[in-house]
Amino acid sequence: MNKIAKLFVTFFSAITLALVSFTSSFAKVDGEYIVLGSAISLTGKYSSNGVHTQNGYNMAVDRINKMGGVEVQGKKYKFEIIYYDDESNPKRAAQLAERLIKQDGVHYMLGPYSSGLTKAIAPVTEKYKIPMVEANGASRSLFTKGYKYLFAVLSPANQYLEVAIDLAVEKNGGKPVKIAQAFEQDAFSQDVRLGILDAAKRTGSEIIIDDKLPKELNDMAATLAKVKAVKPDVLVVSGHTKGALTAIRQISEMKVDVPMLAMTHCDAAKLSKQHGKKSEFALCASQWHKNLSYKDKFFGSGKKYAKDFQKEFGYDPPYQSAESSAALLVFKDAFERANSFDRDAVRDALVDTEMQTFYGNIKFGPGGQNVAKPMILFQVRCKGDDCENRVVAPTKWASDKFYHPIPKWSERS
Amino acid sequence: MEKVKQKDLILYSGLIILGLAAPYLFSAFKVQLTYLCVLIVLAMTWNLQGGEMGYNTFGNILFYGLGMYLTASVQVGMFFSLAEWTESGGEKTFVHTTAQYFQGIGVGLLVSAIVPAVIAGAIGYAILGLRGHYFAICTLGLGIAAGEIAGGIEIIGAGQGFTTPPFPAEIVDTEARGKFFYFLSFALLVGTFIFVKYIYGSRFRLILNAIRDNEDKAEAMGIQTMKYKIVGWMCSAFFCGLAGGIMGGLIGYIDSTDVAFDGREMGVFMVLMAILGGKGTLWGPVIGATLFHFFKEGLWTLILGWQYVALGVLIVVIVVYFPEGLMGWLREKYPERFGEVIDEKDRKAQVELK
Repeated sequence: MNKIAKLFVTFFSAITLALVSFTSSFAKVDGEYIVLGSAISLTGKYSSNGVHTQNGYNMAVDRINKMGGVEVQGKKYKFEIIYYDDESNPKRAAQLAERLIKQDGVHYMLGPYSSGLTKAIAPVTEKYKIPMVEANGASRSLFTKGYKYLFAVLSPANQYLEVAIDLAVEKNGGKPVKIAQAFEQDAFSQDVRLGILDAAKRTGSEIIIDDKLPKELNDMAATLAKVKAVKPDVLVVSGHTKGALTAIRQISEMKVDVPMLAMTHCDAAKLSKQHGKKSEFALCASQWHKNLSYKDKFFGSGKKYAKDFQKEFGYDPPYQSAESSAALLVFKDAFERANSFDRDAVRDALVDTEMQTFYGNIKFGPGGQNVAKPMILFQVRCKGDDCENRVVAPTKWASDKFYHPIPKWSERS
Repeated sequence: MEKVKQKDLILYSGLIILGLAAPYLFSAFKVQLTYLCVLIVLAMTWNLQGGEMGYNTFGNILFYGLGMYLTASVQVGMFFSLAEWTESGGEKTFVHTTAQYFQGIGVGLLVSAIVPAVIAGAIGYAILGLRGHYFAICTLGLGIAAGEIAGGIEIIGAGQGFTTPPFPAEIVDTEARGKFFYFLSFALLVGTFIFVKYIYGSRFRLILNAIRDNEDKAEAMGIQTMKYKIVGWMCSAFFCGLAGGIMGGLIGYIDSTDVAFDGREMGVFMVLMAILGGKGTLWGPVIGATLFHFFKEGLWTLILGWQYVALGVLIVVIVVYFPEGLMGWLREKYPERFGEVIDEKDRKAQVELK
C-alpha cells in the first residue's frame, strides 16, 4: 500500500491547498455595491417561475441603479445580486444559502422561488441573523415559526382561493356549494388547500373530491373523471405552473363541464397565450395585476411596469416577477431609512416598512407576511382568439363582471 | 483482521487529524465538508451492496429518507406532540431546550439506524431473491414509492414538509451548529470506514464477493446466500439511516420527494460516486465521493443552468473510460502497486465473466 498511500497524501494535500487558497471574502458592501444573495430555481420543476423571479429582481436592480441607487450616509450605492441555481431542491437551497452567507459574505438575502425552498432557507438566514426579503414563499407555516429576519411582500397562501369559494357561494344564492379540489403535494398548494378547508367550513360547503396530485404533475385525468361523475359546483386546482397547464389541457380534452374553475399560477403559465380559448372563464388567484392602481416613483404604475418588462424580457410580467421587483424596492427603502449597513438596523427598518409600490401596499405583520395587500382574482376572457386576464374581484379593482357559470363545452365554439 | 501496518497508521492518523482540524481550517466550508462526509458514507455503504455483493441497488435512498424522518420525528415526538408540530397552520411555536435537543437527536439517530436496518431485513427477505436488473428495477421503485407515501402522511407533514427542530437558541455561537453536525458526520464517517475496513478483512466479504461472482456456485458450496445478502443489505441500511438522520438535522427542512427520498439526486449520486471511484474497493467510494463533491461544488456554479448536462457528460465519461472506476483503472495500469501479481489469462477470463 506504500505508493497508494503516497497517492492519497498527495491527493489530500492538493485538496487542502486548493481550499486554503480559495479566497472567500467578498464584502456585504463591495465598493459602491450592496451585495445581495439569492438562490433561484434556474433548473428543475420550478425553473420557469424561478426565471420569472430572477427577471423581476434584475429588472428592479437595473431600474434602481439607473435612478441613482441607494443612498446611505450621503453616499450612493448600487445593488448587485449573486445568484446560485438551487435546482428546485430544498436541500440544495439550504446549502446554497449557507454558502452565500459564509463563503460569499452576503449579509442580505432575497428569497428563492416557492414556499418549500423558502422554508428550507429561512432557518439558515435566521441562524445567521441575515434579513431576507422574499417575494415567492407564501406558505402560512412560514409566518408562524416566529422568524424575525423573514419578510414577505406577498399575501399568505391560504388566502389565494378563499375568495373564490365565497364568490361561488354568493353566486349560488348564499347557499353552500359542493367543492372538488386537487392539490399538488407541496408546501404552497397544501396551504392553498387549508384556505379552502377554512372557507368550506365557514360557508358550510361540502368537499366532495379532495385529491392529491404528485409533484411535477402532468396528468390529473383521474380527478377529472371523478369530477365528471359527481358534478361539483366548483373545481379548485393548485399545482404551480404545470398544474395550471395540465388542468386546462385535460379539462378541454375531456370536455369536463364545471360551473366554476378556480386555479393558481395562471399568469405564470401564460395560460391565456398557451391555451387561448380553452382557458376562457378560468378564475385565477393572483398577488398582482397590472391594472391595479398602485404607483411608485421607480416603475410608475402597474401598466407601465408591464410595458417596460415586456420590452426588456419579451413577455407580459406574471405576478411572480412583479412581487420580486417589489422586494428590491422594499430593501432600498429599508436601507435608506436605516441609513446604515448594520444587519439589525436594516432588519428594524424592515419591520417598520410602510410603503406603496406599483405592486401594492407593503406593511409587514408580526410573522413577516405582508398584511397591507389583498389577493385579487381575475378571469380569463377572450375576444375572438385574443384572450386576456380581467380582474373580477375584489370589487374595488374589478374591471369586469365575473362570468358565471362557465358554459358547457358543447355550447362553446 | 490483519494488523494495521505502520504506513497505514500514518495515513489514517493524518486523515483523522485533517478531518478534526478541517472545520477550523476551512471554517466557511463546514456545511460542504459535512455533506462530503455524508456522501462518502453513502458511497461506501452503496459499495457494500453494489460493489461487493454485486446487487446494484437504487433503494438505499429509502433508508436514508427513513433515517431522516425518523430522527426528526423522534426528536420532536419525545417532547411535544408530533401532529401539532407538523400541522401547517399551527400557531403554536415549540422550542426545544438545549438538553432536549441533544437527547432528542441522540435517541433519534439510534432509532434511525436500527429501524432502517430492520426494514432492510424485511424487504431484503422479500426481494433479494431477484437478481441482476430485476433487483435494480425493484429497488428503484422502493424509493419512489416511499417518497409518494411519505408525501401523504399527515403526521410527518405530508406535502407541506417537516421542519426539523432548530438548533437550541441558548447556544449563542453561530458556528456551534455547523461544528456539531460536522463532527457528527465525521464520527459517522470514521465509524463506517472502520466497519467497512473490518468487513474487508473478514470472511464475510469473501462470501459477498462469491455471491457477486457466481451466486449459484456460492450456493453450491454450501453458503446460505440469502442470509448473507440480507445481512449485507442491513449493514448498508444501518449507516444510510444514520447519514439521513444527520442530513435531516443539518438541512432543517424535510420534503418527502426532494430531500428525504431524493432518488433522483442522492439516490443516483451514491451509485455514481461509488462507480466513479471504483466499486468493490475500500478507497474507491471515498475518492469517488470526494472528487464528485468537488466537481459539483466547484464547477456547478460556474456553469449555471448547464450543470446537469455536465453531470450527464461526466456519467458518460466515467462509464466509457473508467468502467471500473478510478481505482479499477489505477489497478489495471499499475497492478504491482496494489501488491497484486496478475495472471493475464485469468484477468481476461474475469472480465469476460462480468
